[in-house]
Amino acid sequence: MPNETWSVAGTDLGSRLMLGTAQYPSLQCLADAVRASGTQVLTVGLRRLQPEHGGGNSFWQRISALGCRVLPNTAGCHSAQEAITLAQMAREIFGTAWIKLEVIGDDYTLQPDTFATIDAANQLARDGFAVFAYTTDDLVVAQRLRDAGCAAIMPWAAPIGTGRGPMNPQALTTLRERLPDAVLVVDAGLGRPSHAAQVMELGYDAVLLNTAVARAGDPVRMAEAFGLAVRAGRAAYAATPMTERQSAQASTPTVGMPFWHQT
Amino acid sequence: MSEVHVSLNGERVTTAASSLQALLRAQGYDLAAAMACAINRVFVPRPQWEQRMLANGDQIDVITPITGG
Repeated sequence: MPNETWSVAGTDLGSRLMLGTAQYPSLQCLADAVRASGTQVLTVGLRRLQPEHGGGNSFWQRISALGCRVLPNTAGCHSAQEAITLAQMAREIFGTAWIKLEVIGDDYTLQPDTFATIDAANQLARDGFAVFAYTTDDLVVAQRLRDAGCAAIMPWAAPIGTGRGPMNPQALTTLRERLPDAVLVVDAGLGRPSHAAQVMELGYDAVLLNTAVARAGDPVRMAEAFGLAVRAGRAAYAATPMTERQSAQASTPTVGMPFWHQT
Repeated sequence: MSEVHVSLNGERVTTAASSLQALLRAQGYDLAAAMACAINRVFVPRPQWEQRMLANGDQIDVITPITGG
């Protein structure tokens, strides 16, 4: 199966699957899932450190050893200022300008505060960050994020952690059509490999998911399945799927059909 | 030696430390660890830790990498 390289923030990647690192049963399971998926990008978070817990080095050392690019997130931030400060701290710790920008607007739906996200994206991009912006499927917001100079625009399929799959495929299709030159990544709410294949068939550049793998019965096997689904979806998009038809059309030729006779 | 009253990772702390770096050492942080600091929600780069003086009421956050989606 062809495996096309894609490019984001000036980096060529061979896998169109990006994985989160949270909620795995163990670090070993995470490491095995990462290998099984073929992913080359991992998201990580940042939280308060108590001195008795050391430097978080155990987790960081295991992640670093996996050989993937790290994409720090601003998960949990509720304002542009919080997200900007967290991004600056992430840049210093991880030595990367990549940042997954999340500014949450509602603690129940975890949907992004799109106003604060646009504000933060503008400031971060001016400060030299490569912003991967988590957003809704709103076209105008996505256009503002493109104008802000985001490296990637990442609309949700469904609320974080729900596993529902694409709530609004038409909106995702519109984003792809109206932002043909943007790097578009579906992030949040994917639950099954078929969901990932579906959005890849729409022409999305990549997907980002966490819970769907980490909370599967067998995360390692599920990681492999998602890796295959992302490649299948991309191959399908590249192969130009057939056009849907309104009415049925037989695939077997009708000429030579037996059992009819002239009287 | 005068003391300052600050909030460190959400906990009230009274300290004789005058600088951010001195506070981190006094609290038992390993300065070589993977961590970053902010005071009053503003990032303080590591090279400034030694010079950054503390003031009463400062809200200090010390963070480290964790798992995340």
